[in-house]
Amino acid sequence: MSKDKTPQTTRRTTRLSTSSPSLSNADAKLTKCCSTPHSLTLRDLVFGGEIFNADDLFASLPGRRGVILELIRLLGPLNSRMLPLFLYGGVSTGKTTTVLQMFRHFKRPFVYVSCRSCYNPRILFESIINQLLLHSKNEGNGYSSAKRCEKPSDFVNYLQDALGYVINGLKEKTEKLSLKKSLKWVKGSMVYLIIDNLELVRDWDKSLSILPFLFKLYDLLKMPELGLIFISSASPDTYHSDTGYTEPIPLYFPDYTEEDLRQIFLRNQSNPKLYASFLDVVLKPFSRVTRRLDEISTAFSHLFKIYCEPLEDQTIVPNEETKRRLFSHLQPHIAPSLNEIFRVPSVCSENRANKEMVKWKLSGNKLGVSDVLEEIDFHMSVCAKYLLISAFLASRNPATLDASLFDSTGGAATRKRKRKASEKSMEQKDIAEQELLMKGPGTFPLERLLAIFQCITSVADYSAEEEELDHGGLGGGAGDGGLMSDVLLQLSSLCSANFISKGSSCPLEGSTRYRCTVDENMVLKVARSMKFPLSKYLYRN
Amino acid sequence: MGSDNPAEKALILHRTRLSNPNFIFTHFSNSPDTNYSKLKFIISSSVTEACNNSVLLLGPRGCGKAAVLELVLDDLLKEYPDMITTIKLNGLLHSDDKCALKEIARQLCAEHQLSFSKVASFDDNNQFMIDILRECGLAHKTVIFVLDEFDLFAQGKQRLLYSLLDAMQSVSSQAVVVGISCRLDADQLLEKRVRSRFSHRKLLFLPPSAEDLQGLIKHMLLLPTDSSISDDYTTEFNARLLKLLEDGRCKDIIDTLSTSDSTFNHLIRFIAVCHMDMNLGFLTLENFKAALTGVQRQPKLECLKDCSILELYILVCMMRLEFREQESYNFNTMMKEYSSIRDSFKTCDYYARNVCLRAFEHLLQRELISLVDSRGHTQSLEFHPVKLLVSAPELHLGLKSNRCCPAILQKIIDRG
Repeated sequence: MSKDKTPQTTRRTTRLSTSSPSLSNADAKLTKCCSTPHSLTLRDLVFGGEIFNADDLFASLPGRRGVILELIRLLGPLNSRMLPLFLYGGVSTGKTTTVLQMFRHFKRPFVYVSCRSCYNPRILFESIINQLLLHSKNEGNGYSSAKRCEKPSDFVNYLQDALGYVINGLKEKTEKLSLKKSLKWVKGSMVYLIIDNLELVRDWDKSLSILPFLFKLYDLLKMPELGLIFISSASPDTYHSDTGYTEPIPLYFPDYTEEDLRQIFLRNQSNPKLYASFLDVVLKPFSRVTRRLDEISTAFSHLFKIYCEPLEDQTIVPNEETKRRLFSHLQPHIAPSLNEIFRVPSVCSENRANKEMVKWKLSGNKLGVSDVLEEIDFHMSVCAKYLLISAFLASRNPATLDASLFDSTGGAATRKRKRKASEKSMEQKDIAEQELLMKGPGTFPLERLLAIFQCITSVADYSAEEEELDHGGLGGGAGDGGLMSDVLLQLSSLCSANFISKGSSCPLEGSTRYRCTVDENMVLKVARSMKFPLSKYLYRN
Repeated sequence: MGSDNPAEKALILHRTRLSNPNFIFTHFSNSPDTNYSKLKFIISSSVTEACNNSVLLLGPRGCGKAAVLELVLDDLLKEYPDMITTIKLNGLLHSDDKCALKEIARQLCAEHQLSFSKVASFDDNNQFMIDILRECGLAHKTVIFVLDEFDLFAQGKQRLLYSLLDAMQSVSSQAVVVGISCRLDADQLLEKRVRSRFSHRKLLFLPPSAEDLQGLIKHMLLLPTDSSISDDYTTEFNARLLKLLEDGRCKDIIDTLSTSDSTFNHLIRFIAVCHMDMNLGFLTLENFKAALTGVQRQPKLECLKDCSILELYILVCMMRLEFREQESYNFNTMMKEYSSIRDSFKTCDYYARNVCLRAFEHLLQRELISLVDSRGHTQSLEFHPVKLLVSAPELHLGLKSNRCCPAILQKIIDRG
């Protein structure tokens, strides 16, 4: 009888489509008759789709049974008032998913915003008001919001109006539908406001006024038909405020245990027995390092492909012998993979990585603590490489040694005979080493960098010329000029790549000072590619 | 009878009461020397005698200042129907003068059925407010300004406060300014010229005593006899509840609760998490106990229980560095300690540097460690000095309660 517009897709299936409601402009353009874009109805405030009962809810969220029961009790029966809730827990523990699935089960209308996609107060306020006023940003209205709302005072006024409008609409609909015996697509006349990623608000400019305002929103509005739910990955005692704030009711989401992780990974697998045998091998070592679901799943997807390589038929149920065979195939890959948590390999490096894996199997390297790749996997020009090496030397060596290290003999003449080290000098060495660990690389002015660069490139040119003379090739070439021409350009590109960091310029201290933030392994790789004798120039005490 | 469970109806009734602050404080409105009666006297006398007045309500958060003021205003609106106009401002929203005047103009327009123009300027709104005050004064109507979060209005130049209090000095106006603040020194924040126009009346709201808390619980949870819930259920529920509240263990629970935080808000949140068992239909001592453990959270311990083994190793290394009284340490010194532990204790959990760095970042996210002075440094993360945010006893407790903590870690931290 009632011809409600059917929703286009079930909303809230992905977290990406949160701030603005989805449009169907493409569909509208295809059909010739309707020229207006799809307008939203109250039905879009509810999680669409079929009935999702309680068993489905518990089955889709393994390990969260206790939390879900507590949350159901806190939300309360239909149309009962609710004090604000604060859900917190570690990262990727399923907080948002649990809340959204619960609202899918209960079919109560809700409005969801995330402080990650709404990154300042204005966007946050406007997003909430847009969803309540069922306004969608499209080409027709120039992608603008329904109301311009920057200040909290305007937001409170608009929110009261919008909530009143929505709640009246819901009450009318529920009265009409209560006569029908068919399934209702919405239950109750309360609207719930879910604010996700609240911990990011602490880093906003106006966080000192916005955070207490959000916590006090429920009291300010004085509307019993609104339920407020905050989701954060930081616990409530990390939200500091000078004068305190009204505290919502906290609910903790503990991290998944190993058992829970097992159940989660076994869901939706095409061959559960095979995957279970895979998990027996890898889950324990990985959960010693981290139990975060996002990191482990990235590593597992890669490893599972390797695990299944020797199998011709992916659907068989493995017996003991197959399991042992697969385990021995996988084992050399586990340790290196453990030491590279959360690395998503790119295509070309995957090929190279496979070659490296073959090398390890032969060498039987079990610990895998040492470096993976012997080369840097991006391109740098010759000038940039020399500049990087000079910057590293400038950061690590004290300035007083430059004269002796970079003279024509390469510092060999000034090295004294090694005397036996006394107790005091050993202590001093320890202290100096400690200081180096603590303070990090030193700063240097631009002139010193250029001086070292000159010295290094002149030496390199000299040796390159020697080599060419030996080979009898044409001598000369671009030589020095080619390297020096765009040094400053290369320096600025190294700075923007964060290999060299630039300090703030102070008129009292003179010119700006730079600091090399690359570690020794990387510079060793660069030097090796240039055949540069780095150890000769490094000051080691 | 009917299809509705009486327990469910009782639950809905309780939840409604919990979210309604007015209901809570009607319990206290009867006795003569409470803040309620004093406040009522101040405001009603200025209404009847047509004089100006200002008063500050001070007290910690959750002690009922705003709720008592609401009760007083409701009563006065019933007693003197046409003689009072209320304007409500909040420091969180309206601390900016322009916003505040716009809001005042909007509320005045709504009250007197005038149309409000959004583009009116600051001066227009100011003039409008002064005109309305004069009109109300001539018509013997009192305007009551309620300034919530008063200390936030006292930031900056205090123009709004000055103009309000100054407007009250003229003979023709009849206004009462009520300020609510949780800072007990809110009047010290006022400028000299503002303070001189302020009558130094302060009402102090204190958290309730133990007897008051007991009385409040009874008031909140006892079911009324004239509601739609069946009478048998009501009498049985009330009888059981009274017996439960007389029990010594229940009194202990309430005492524990009020020792940490005896404000009303805390008690209300406690009652909100006291979940009645729906099958049984009555509140029991176990519900109270479960609610108490829910309210008494230990956030650092929860975090430590969730840490992985590598993260625990990092924490133990940092704790050992602290025992050796190193004033500052960073990731590199921690890695040195980690490798020295591996050499001396022969542990098997040794991971590469970048994995440890990742675990270090997780610990920063969980706020178990933090960077010292994170501003003004251009260093990479490995050289930043860090500090531990858990103390040694907490770490010991955390290691014991972590399910997958290897026994060798306990040994390491004791040996340290």
